[in-house]
Amino acid sequence: MSSLIAENLTYSYSTNIPPALNKVSLKLEPGSLTALVGPNGAGKSTLLSLLQGINRPDQGEIKVDGSPLINNRCQVALMPQRGKLNWSFPITVEGLVSLGRVNHSKSTCCELEAALQRVGISHLSKRRLDSLSGGQQQRALLAKTLMNPANIFLLDEPCSALDPPAKEDFLIIIRQLADSGLTVFVSSHDWGTSLNAYDKVVVLDKIILASGSPQEVQEKLSSINYLRWKL
Amino acid sequence: MSFLYTNWWIIPLLITSFSGVLCPAMGSVLITHKRLLQVNLISHCVLPGLALAMALGIDPSIGGVFSGLVGAIAAESLTNKKNQNYEAVMNTILAGSMGLGVLLIPLLGIRIDLEAVLFGDLLTANLSDLIRTLIAFSAFISLVFFGYDKLVYIGLDPEGAASSGVNVSSLNLALGLTTALVIVSSMSAVGVILVIALLSTPTLLGLQKARSLWIAMIRSSIFGLLISLLGFSLAMVLNLPPGPLISVLCVISLILIPKNN
Repeated sequence: MSSLIAENLTYSYSTNIPPALNKVSLKLEPGSLTALVGPNGAGKSTLLSLLQGINRPDQGEIKVDGSPLINNRCQVALMPQRGKLNWSFPITVEGLVSLGRVNHSKSTCCELEAALQRVGISHLSKRRLDSLSGGQQQRALLAKTLMNPANIFLLDEPCSALDPPAKEDFLIIIRQLADSGLTVFVSSHDWGTSLNAYDKVVVLDKIILASGSPQEVQEKLSSINYLRWKL
Repeated sequence: MSFLYTNWWIIPLLITSFSGVLCPAMGSVLITHKRLLQVNLISHCVLPGLALAMALGIDPSIGGVFSGLVGAIAAESLTNKKNQNYEAVMNTILAGSMGLGVLLIPLLGIRIDLEAVLFGDLLTANLSDLIRTLIAFSAFISLVFFGYDKLVYIGLDPEGAASSGVNVSSLNLALGLTTALVIVSSMSAVGVILVIALLSTPTLLGLQKARSLWIAMIRSSIFGLLISLLGFSLAMVLNLPPGPLISVLCVISLILIPKNN
């Protein structure tokens, strides 16, 4: 079980444009399922890239279990947006999942099978990736991410291309992961009652607009009339 | 069939076979990595290096590989910048490099059989051409042996590979260098221009429903070997240049690709 604390993160892609993130602070509790919501261009993917250590913040710091992220990067794993992958690449589901251990110790068959079972696609292990449905592909990508020896999982818009039933199934899986003690942080375009599936919601639009339980966040945002013009 | 009573065709046949296996295997990696345009750039960048090396009195293939590598680095840099017009810029450099190569020949006062470089001249191939092909073959085998998992990861998810600690730039540079070696080694078989056909067509056939890059490479190599040997045999019988004939056979073999692809 691991926690992550980010304090006053500021990040700019270039010096002559406004920062993509401005003094963002948040805390991910061990074993929690947290949603990160916000409009397009709000900085959700940027924040995830900072929390995973792909990019370094201009200001602020990130700590995992009390230690700087740089010493604990292996504790954090990122599941990328589906658009970043070359889905026509010739590879089977088990081939994809085993890539989760590249640059770590070699995976065993049991670990691979366990990751596939956790997301409910062990029967698809020999299938080519591009022969799967969108929901099955997302599960395979999650299984690959779970092969990382990490306790904190950042999922970048995992439900963006899924139909409602597939999305519901996916949310059940990530809830089970959080209940098993993993810390899960999910960027999403969800709003309304669908946010009730999460323990906590963080609303981002370059700054943190609201943070708390789904009900608290919705009340706070309706009071500033934010939703009407943004989400 | 008089050639059967002599042995001059053995080295050309060996080069045809190695190129027929090597180019499609390399092509499988390049096509799945969506890098065929970069390969085109490298192949066109080879000529200025060949001309300069000849003028300096060193092995032309060393100059060809060097300038091909410069092309690979230029291609890598343009792709990484993600400029929306990078394809147009790349094609301009491609044409300019070829133009520079052609200009250097009279300017440096050297003699190059341009037709042989561009379209191959298999029947005059010698032992050094075969050695060049074997060096390229060894470089490719080493790349696949030591970096297969990483090549797969980069082809599937380059950003994910980088964030997992894979040195994407170094591996792409190694891929560029190996590509330059393969192109230069195929110069005598099909030429630096027609090599694109041997890199692409057998791969399109081999990729059909392949469940891994490894399987795609093996299948592509088998198709490439068959096409190359058929082209070589027909060229012998019909007394035609093998390089262009192999390229034409590549085009004809496209009919074997299922219509739903």
